[in-house]
Amino acid sequence: MFGVSVLNFFCGKKIFYAATKKGKQKWFATALMFSLLPLFYFKYANFFIDSFSNLASFFDVHANKYTLNVILPVGISFFTFQALSYSIDIYRNRVGVETSLVRFTTYVAFFPQLVAGPIERSTNLLQQFYEEHEFDIKRFVEGAKLFIWGLFKKIVIADRLSVYSDSVFNNPEAHSSPTLIVATVFFTFQIYCDFSGYSDMAIGSARMLGFRLMQNFNLPYLSISIGEFWKRWHISLSTWFSDYVYIPLGGNRVSISRWVFNILVVFLLSGLWHGANWTFVIWGALHAFYYFIEFIGKKTLVLIGAEDVMKKGYYKFFKIIIVFILVCFAWIFFRANSVSDAFLIITKIVSFSGQLWTGGSSVTTLLSVLLILFLIGVQILQFNNKVSIYFSKTQLPSYVEWLSYAFLLITIALFGMSSNAFIYFQF
Amino acid sequence: MIKKEIKNKLLKDYLKKGFLFLLLLIVLDNGVNYFLLNGLYRYYGLYNDNEIALVGHSHLMLGIDKVQMEKKLDVKVSKYTREGVNIVERDLMIDQLLKSNQQLKLVVYAVDAWMFTGEGLSENSYKQFYPFMGEKTINNYVFENAAFGDFWQHQIIKSSRYNEGLVSGSFRGYLKSWDNLKVGVLDTVALNSDIKKGDFRKIVSTKENRKIFENTLKKITQKNINIILLYVPTSSIYNNAEIGKFNSEITYFKGIESKFSNIKFLDYNELYSTNASLFYDRIHLNPEGQKLVTGSFIEYLKK
Repeated sequence: MFGVSVLNFFCGKKIFYAATKKGKQKWFATALMFSLLPLFYFKYANFFIDSFSNLASFFDVHANKYTLNVILPVGISFFTFQALSYSIDIYRNRVGVETSLVRFTTYVAFFPQLVAGPIERSTNLLQQFYEEHEFDIKRFVEGAKLFIWGLFKKIVIADRLSVYSDSVFNNPEAHSSPTLIVATVFFTFQIYCDFSGYSDMAIGSARMLGFRLMQNFNLPYLSISIGEFWKRWHISLSTWFSDYVYIPLGGNRVSISRWVFNILVVFLLSGLWHGANWTFVIWGALHAFYYFIEFIGKKTLVLIGAEDVMKKGYYKFFKIIIVFILVCFAWIFFRANSVSDAFLIITKIVSFSGQLWTGGSSVTTLLSVLLILFLIGVQILQFNNKVSIYFSKTQLPSYVEWLSYAFLLITIALFGMSSNAFIYFQF
Repeated sequence: MIKKEIKNKLLKDYLKKGFLFLLLLIVLDNGVNYFLLNGLYRYYGLYNDNEIALVGHSHLMLGIDKVQMEKKLDVKVSKYTREGVNIVERDLMIDQLLKSNQQLKLVVYAVDAWMFTGEGLSENSYKQFYPFMGEKTINNYVFENAAFGDFWQHQIIKSSRYNEGLVSGSFRGYLKSWDNLKVGVLDTVALNSDIKKGDFRKIVSTKENRKIFENTLKKITQKNINIILLYVPTSSIYNNAEIGKFNSEITYFKGIESKFSNIKFLDYNELYSTNASLFYDRIHLNPEGQKLVTGSFIEYLKK
């Protein structure tokens, strides 16, 4: 992390002060290449060696497979992207040059969001290190509330759901269709609560210190389209890819075939960013496929003059359900231990036979269902602006609000499973 | 100046609110603790005037139906069983029972061939005693076993003393539900394969553990309470894995019976251990197994 920080700090300077465009390009390429090199080495080298070796054996060429025995540094994808955003922004003349190495390394290593995001930009976070941060009780309380909500989502909801989903996904051949459906739905909420829980804790703790981090999740499972889902899910990553990959590739101001290519690249990279496994690549590709189908569907509806239907409430509700099901389905690839496991799970699910497994502990399973219902209830209230987790005034009386947070704290104490690691730590 | 005054006012306002919030939290925490603890007392039959107490770990928990015993024998039964408790903790449980249940006439102490094996059952079963930290002996025991921070966290935040199993136990206490919910049948193929691979808990009796056990028995008999050492059957496949050591443990229990006048040893292995359909896993009975063993036990008590 220190190496990547120092590299981008010095390359940033060189880019800024380079007299010619060629010079800027040269230093920018250096920053890009040497920042991505450790990421590639630690995270993707074995994946490419394995894939190449499998491909070779498919053509009857048997090469000796040498894999690296390395430990993936925690949060490498996050800090690499965060450091890189500075060099890219400097190259695009969006920020001024940073003169202090201490300030820059603090920006890259900013602890609240270091290991699981949100991935910050130099244009937002780095600038805040120039501000004076006085203690502000109002801001502190707002941050603490968000932190508690995040902690609740992570250690009460996500960790509880993982008890069921882990045992099913780690042994799919032993389970039936209804069990696999329940495990998929559980995982859908687990990953959301795990990741958005961490993000909220990061944003909350930064807020307590007087820093503003970007919102990373905005009710993604209430999206009415896949496009909207990606505007609401892991916002810092999707906007990163949009700003630094999709737009430089030409965005949508290109030919249709080139646009298809751009979308595909962004989704595949997004999949690969999550993990060096074909399951993640398929997960990304599946979302790209959904995106194209949705695009074609929308155009068709406009062509047949059904725009009025698209504005109806029931149509939006129907779309929320469809998008949710599609996202759930894609999570199977994300969570499955291998591609063959994912296909096994799908095959078993569509058989629609067998009995529902109630889980190792029926209390935990029942509690998991209740927690999901509670989360949905809170999210619907958030969606309708009845409550806000993100710092604006809620419509609830203050005593109800205080009681809610006391309830969350007690539940955390009662059901907290602090031993489970964050899923997103691996990215 | 005005800005500073506003800031101070805001700070005071928030401090006031914070204090009230803390108060609310303490009240809520104690309320939750009171409710759950009361449920647990009901579930385990502590602080009751019951005449019979069943003491042991999950082996006994799933092996004997206390409700059937109460119905057929017309006596009140405490079923104080905790998952994974070691010999020291059973002694602790007996202390709790002797202190809280003054009318005890009979203690049914679950025994098995692995009970003197110090390792392999659980290393952190002391955590199950967190809810009873209000009791001095339990508090001391937890203090000795838990890490410093862990101890004080559970000492201060009472809701954190419970886990799902304990919450479930508490609710079952209020709902008066002691059913064996482990539906299923032992996979004998898997068990045979595990044994072949050496993947099973070895029988290792330590003198220290036997001494603690015998002291517990003395403590009970000194109070003129009868004891039954009850061997709820374990699968014969599992028993035979180390048959020599297994038989030696049985001989030890028989020896105990002859040493104390008011102790009986009841071994249900011969009757049921070969019938795999009665077991949920290698050591736990399923509801069908529980029904049969409870029936035999009730018949014995009637005699």
